[in-house]
Amino acid sequence: MESKPSNSLSSLIDQQVFPGDVVLDLSKMANQTIKLGSGLRQEGDAISVMKAGKLRFAKPNKYWVESSHKRYVPCAGDTVLGIVVDSKADNFLVDIKSPTIAFLPVLAFEGGTRRNIPKFEVGTLLYARVVKANTGMNPELACMDASGKAAEFGPLKDGYMFESSTGLSRMLLNSPTCPLLETLGKKLAFEIAVGLNGRVWVNATSPSIIILVANSIMKSESLSPVQQKIMVDNLLQRVQ
Amino acid sequence: MEQRLANAWRMTVNEKKFIETALLSDLRIDGRRPFDYRNLTIRFGREDGSSEVQLGQTHVMGFVTSQLVQPYRDRPNEGTLAIYTELSPMADPSFEAGRPAESAVELGRIIDRGLRESRAVDTESLCVVAGKWVWSLRIDLHILDNGGNLVDAANIAALASLLTFRRPECTLGGEDGQEVIIHAPEAREALPLTVHHLPIAITFAFIGDENTVVIDPSHFEEAVMGGRMTATLNANGDICAVQKAGGEGVIQSVIMQCLRIASVKAVDITRKIEDAVKSNNTERALRKIKRHPPSAVVDVIKAGQKGADNLLEENMEKPKQEIEDTIVSQSDDMDIETRSSNQNESKPRIDKNTSFIGGPSSWDPYSKGVNVDELKASLASRVAALPSEKMDTAPPVEPRVTVTDPPLTSTNAAPSSEENTGAGQQTNKEKTLKDAVKPKHKRKKKT
Repeated sequence: MESKPSNSLSSLIDQQVFPGDVVLDLSKMANQTIKLGSGLRQEGDAISVMKAGKLRFAKPNKYWVESSHKRYVPCAGDTVLGIVVDSKADNFLVDIKSPTIAFLPVLAFEGGTRRNIPKFEVGTLLYARVVKANTGMNPELACMDASGKAAEFGPLKDGYMFESSTGLSRMLLNSPTCPLLETLGKKLAFEIAVGLNGRVWVNATSPSIIILVANSIMKSESLSPVQQKIMVDNLLQRVQ
Repeated sequence: MEQRLANAWRMTVNEKKFIETALLSDLRIDGRRPFDYRNLTIRFGREDGSSEVQLGQTHVMGFVTSQLVQPYRDRPNEGTLAIYTELSPMADPSFEAGRPAESAVELGRIIDRGLRESRAVDTESLCVVAGKWVWSLRIDLHILDNGGNLVDAANIAALASLLTFRRPECTLGGEDGQEVIIHAPEAREALPLTVHHLPIAITFAFIGDENTVVIDPSHFEEAVMGGRMTATLNANGDICAVQKAGGEGVIQSVIMQCLRIASVKAVDITRKIEDAVKSNNTERALRKIKRHPPSAVVDVIKAGQKGADNLLEENMEKPKQEIEDTIVSQSDDMDIETRSSNQNESKPRIDKNTSFIGGPSSWDPYSKGVNVDELKASLASRVAALPSEKMDTAPPVEPRVTVTDPPLTSTNAAPSSEENTGAGQQTNKEKTLKDAVKPKHKRKKKT
């Protein structure tokens, strides 16, 4: 059995954790305000794990569990790529690879009013932010940041969207930039949008660049940083 | 309804548009050219008649089983062939469990048409008793992952599993000679099917306003395509079936072009299937030899020749099964010898065994606890008893001796005649041997 961590936080961070593990004990913490991300749950004073993965910590007080899935479990604050499935009077129904469909209120756009409701046809690709992700409710999205600005959110035109695992999309979003994107970016000009729900959108001037970038990203799923770099170098040499 | 909305796989406008525009410059999203086929891997399971085909992302498993049934009234001397497809929701969320979808039915029909109506499998050789018993083949195709172009992948899986399938040999026997005896594969080598040619299905998709033709469409391209055509051809370029159900109309010249391309691809794929089957066959043969090292036979038979009656009979009961297996795995030359012995009133068996042995092996597990000299002495005093006892010690060949029907395959029959000369010089123990064979012979037939 997992011994009750005597606030041995540092030991568990970046370690594999499993459902049921208690990773934090609030009663023993000096600063009791923490933010929980996906895969963690509060039960009284104990913070326990709900899915297998690596426990991550970001300063000052954010904790979450990282793992790689084909499905996406929504979590407030994540940026995602969604596909419009249907539009209702109050909401757009958006597919974000979660168990239930997400709602995007028609007013959740910068300066959104009843008069200027955007029109999205079915199949439009949206870059959005998860606002609410409560259990038992459909997740809610917004196409503006917390301060009400559009901030790059909204529909994505042209380009090509493909699906990856959630782990891969997280790797692409890592900072410092992952070697894959860095090497590609040195040689090619392209635009990329990565959703934490395992969707990646790529746009460039010519289709061949898009195809190259998309395929190298899809292939890098199980490669180490060094291998990624080698693969991309080989690819670029062959193309040029 | 809500649940289904979330589970369905859907495509964005962006993807659709991109696939079409990229095709205008002869590019496909997975980096292929319009007439490139995806990577094809064929694997085989441990059991005969099972195969697993991977075509890019698409993953199909094929399995062939057989059963003795009554033939159809209008075709009393033909076996039957049926194809069943199974599309599980695990492969693609758009497949529903239970009721077969339209696509599943179409998939089965295309493969069925290609295989059956081109008479690729010789159904007449599946007949056991005309009008009474024929073999019914069942091909199960399980779609494990849908990455597009299920038809081609499933067709290859069906062919690969048919080529590796072996049906048990069966002969007529019983008191009235009408009873069908099915021989276990351990007793008699199971027979492969007669497959005349390999009808390969090649699918083309027509995409976009200009009806650009692409071969082997992926899942995404299938979602975008305006129409699809499947041509089934064999390596000789004979067209067995063409399926073009609905969708965009295609002009004649395009169809002719597709057929030309398909015939080239069919040759490619045929070679791939045949290579895979060949390597599987050699592997299969190797596996059998490894499992039963031939030295076991030598030792056991030698022990039999030395041994004393009671003790040995006890000992031999156990390894009997083992010997049987080994001898079956000894490949065809053993087979031939037994056939020749059949023609010569089964006399030469023992000599055959001795000649087969070569040098005597010093290791003898069965006479370990016995005083060898004593055994020899008792052996000498019972020369008469010896041959019949040898019968007991060498039962593996016995089921073959009972063959009364002509051999079913020509390969076995042909070399038996040349082996006759070798059998001719066998020695003179025939009387006792024959006596020993008879009771066994009868017993076997009754079972």
